[in-house]
Amino acid sequence: MASRRMAHDVAIVAMGCTPFRDHWHRSADDLLVDAVHECVGSLSGATLDDVDAFWVGTQGSGMSGQTLARPLRLVGKPVTRVENYCATGSESLRNAAFAVASGAYDMVMATGVEKLKDSAYSGLAAVYPPADGTDVDWTAPAGFSLLAPAYQQAYGVGARDMRDALTKVAMKNHENGALNERAQFRKAVSAEAVENAPRVAGQLGVLDCSGVSDGAAAAILVRAEDAYRYTDKPVFLRGMGFVAGSGAGLATDGYDFTTFPEVVQAARQAYDQAGVTDPATQISLAEVHDCFTPTEVVLMEDLGFSERGKAWRDILDGRYDLGGALPVNTDGGLKSFGHPIGATGLRMMFECFTQLRGAAGARQVPDARLALAQNLGGQPGSCVAFVAVLGSQR
Amino acid sequence: MPDQPGIDGYAVHLPAYALHDNRLDASGPPRPGGPVRSVAAYDEDTVTMAVEAMRQLTAAGHVGRQLLLATTSAPYEAKTSAGVVHAALGLDPAVSAVDLRGHRCGATALDLVACSGAAAMMADLRTTRPGAPDELAQGDGAAAFVGGGTRAATLLARAGHTTEILERWRLPGERHDRVWDERFTADVLVTAGLDAARRAFTLASLDTVDEVVVSSSNARAAAALRRTLGGSGADAKVERATGFTGAAHPALLLAAALDEAQPGRTILLLSATEGADAFVWRVGDEVRAARGGASVREQLAARRPVGYGRYLRWRGLLEVQGPARPASPAPASPPMVRRSGWKFRLEGSRCAACAKVTTPPAKVCASCGTAASGQTPATVPLRDKTARVVSVTTDHLTTMPEPAVAVVVADVDGGGRLSMYATDVAPGDVAVGMAMTPTFRRLWTTDSIHNYFWKLRPRKEATDGQ
Repeated sequence: MASRRMAHDVAIVAMGCTPFRDHWHRSADDLLVDAVHECVGSLSGATLDDVDAFWVGTQGSGMSGQTLARPLRLVGKPVTRVENYCATGSESLRNAAFAVASGAYDMVMATGVEKLKDSAYSGLAAVYPPADGTDVDWTAPAGFSLLAPAYQQAYGVGARDMRDALTKVAMKNHENGALNERAQFRKAVSAEAVENAPRVAGQLGVLDCSGVSDGAAAAILVRAEDAYRYTDKPVFLRGMGFVAGSGAGLATDGYDFTTFPEVVQAARQAYDQAGVTDPATQISLAEVHDCFTPTEVVLMEDLGFSERGKAWRDILDGRYDLGGALPVNTDGGLKSFGHPIGATGLRMMFECFTQLRGAAGARQVPDARLALAQNLGGQPGSCVAFVAVLGSQR
Repeated sequence: MPDQPGIDGYAVHLPAYALHDNRLDASGPPRPGGPVRSVAAYDEDTVTMAVEAMRQLTAAGHVGRQLLLATTSAPYEAKTSAGVVHAALGLDPAVSAVDLRGHRCGATALDLVACSGAAAMMADLRTTRPGAPDELAQGDGAAAFVGGGTRAATLLARAGHTTEILERWRLPGERHDRVWDERFTADVLVTAGLDAARRAFTLASLDTVDEVVVSSSNARAAAALRRTLGGSGADAKVERATGFTGAAHPALLLAAALDEAQPGRTILLLSATEGADAFVWRVGDEVRAARGGASVREQLAARRPVGYGRYLRWRGLLEVQGPARPASPAPASPPMVRRSGWKFRLEGSRCAACAKVTTPPAKVCASCGTAASGQTPATVPLRDKTARVVSVTTDHLTTMPEPAVAVVVADVDGGGRLSMYATDVAPGDVAVGMAMTPTFRRLWTTDSIHNYFWKLRPRKEATDGQ
């Protein structure tokens, strides 16, 4: 089974990302146009006409490639709509990267968008095909909250220690988001606020959950050898892995809800391609899928940042703080930057891109060389997982 | 027709809840010794209670030629409720499924069990307007009886008395019975009851019986008939703990009597509603083995109290603001047919290569990836197994009429994984490792479609030596 580095190296030369907000007065079309214009506007020596092919990721804010072609009035261009749960934005970038690496196109654009706030619901409301009615009507937090009791049981973590670690994840990511004008929530939260928030599922309260918001993001990709024609500071795609889980974790016994096997596999592919042998020391910063606070705890172990059963301790010790050894979710993460499904994967890339170019201002991680973006969708036991390693050097 | 009319097996399902107090602003404890009503959980109806009763018998191999469901509160108009039970029990398609309706149909179903060898469930779910004088005197429950043998009892004689009388009635779409002045209807029902009993005694060539069991939709008539016929009062005692359970009531009281009766003893069962039906039984030698599941006494003792507010919410009599969340999706007809083995019988598929169980059943094994040869993989029934909780959460945004419900992922002893709602348990009481068993419930109703499937409830430890 092969999962190789692409035939040509690929670089991101420009990106755009709208603020993630309750955009009551802007449509998905408006958000896409804004993200694309910001992205193209930052490019020297090229215009939208120079982009040969487009991808647009959205979970439910549009159908077909016309989701992008119509608002931008693209003429004669191929546009592919992709969907892969909450990893939709990453999927858009992944397929765009393959297209330019193959030589079929010279310049491609990956976009992602989601308009969640028109639904009148505070959470996600997906539409599924007709079915036999035997599935649990899971809320997303309920599905992910299964991680905490299983993790505590497996590693003997007491209720107070677990709660402290979850609270710390929320506080850290809000603190980071407070430094980011594009984030949905730009203010720090106290431990009391996190722990006294209304319960949503299991141990999780409202402040253990990612922000539900509207937003869009875009990236322009070219082959690495062409990158410096468009920018002084390209960011290179060093490796990426993607796994669509078989769903065995919910369909047969064995899976214990303390890990995302799909993430472990995707990370291995990305690390192999990027030549990363010790992620805990080689990765400068990571953007991970903190949809709910326990997810971030487990991901620190799945990505090789913490030993099994130790992430909760590392989190409490500040290892993943902005000033820590391996800053995680420096832009605020899903938790405070918000989570418009189709845009999130590209939003993670946007922070990696910004950090690796040294443009993150107050959030800048010193000497950032390798950044990791990890995006997932579904629920523990049955998920899709994307991991990418990006570098400031080819 | 069986050689000798009788009852070969019986079982009762009493819901896990009891309502002791229906005062809206209770300032002290309820009246001691007052009536208590049996309360079906929010996810139970006459179909699910019928399944829970009859599965105790079909597991032992009792299957008649006809499956009858007698009730006054069927979940669907027009659509046959017994068909859903038939599917959940996984009965042979050659067994027909038939509904019987009306207050008298519980006694008729018993008649068909004894004389035609049918299998019958008598189930009812009874509501009144909040605060009605008889609110605590109505109750929910189900019983299952199978004929074709006489292990539990032989029918010595029966006699009926049809009387057209406006006693309890309601129009289609109405929730609660309307009731005529019970002093008048008691007078008519007592007359009918005594006539039926007298004729049954004559047919049985008996002057008296060892035990008298009286069931009536009219409490005044029941009391008069018990007094006149010299009943011991055991039936009234059960009734005071459950309320009148409608079409299920004659069968419930007969089951309670059989639970305690010695072989060879005689029992008169008199059901007085819309006339009367009298049955004289001789208790069978194998009456203990003929019972499926726990006794009525044990089930009554295992109940827990439910508060009046919660009861009203469960029954839809008190509308409470739920979460801002779309209704759970209605199931579609073709997928329910394609996956009836899973949806109704809770069958997984077992891999021929690695022997692991996949749920829902699928052509390709979730564990080893081997594709089953042929059209369908081998199936394995999971509904009577024990499953142990792997992880658990509480959904605080549930659309069910509860503040929160537990959702569990549990592994089945012998293989298989279930992601299911937990029921008959406080969400906070479900812990990793807890042993649970599947129970057939109504998950939700959307777009006028009842969505039936299995849930998990804490495993009941056997306490009756069975």
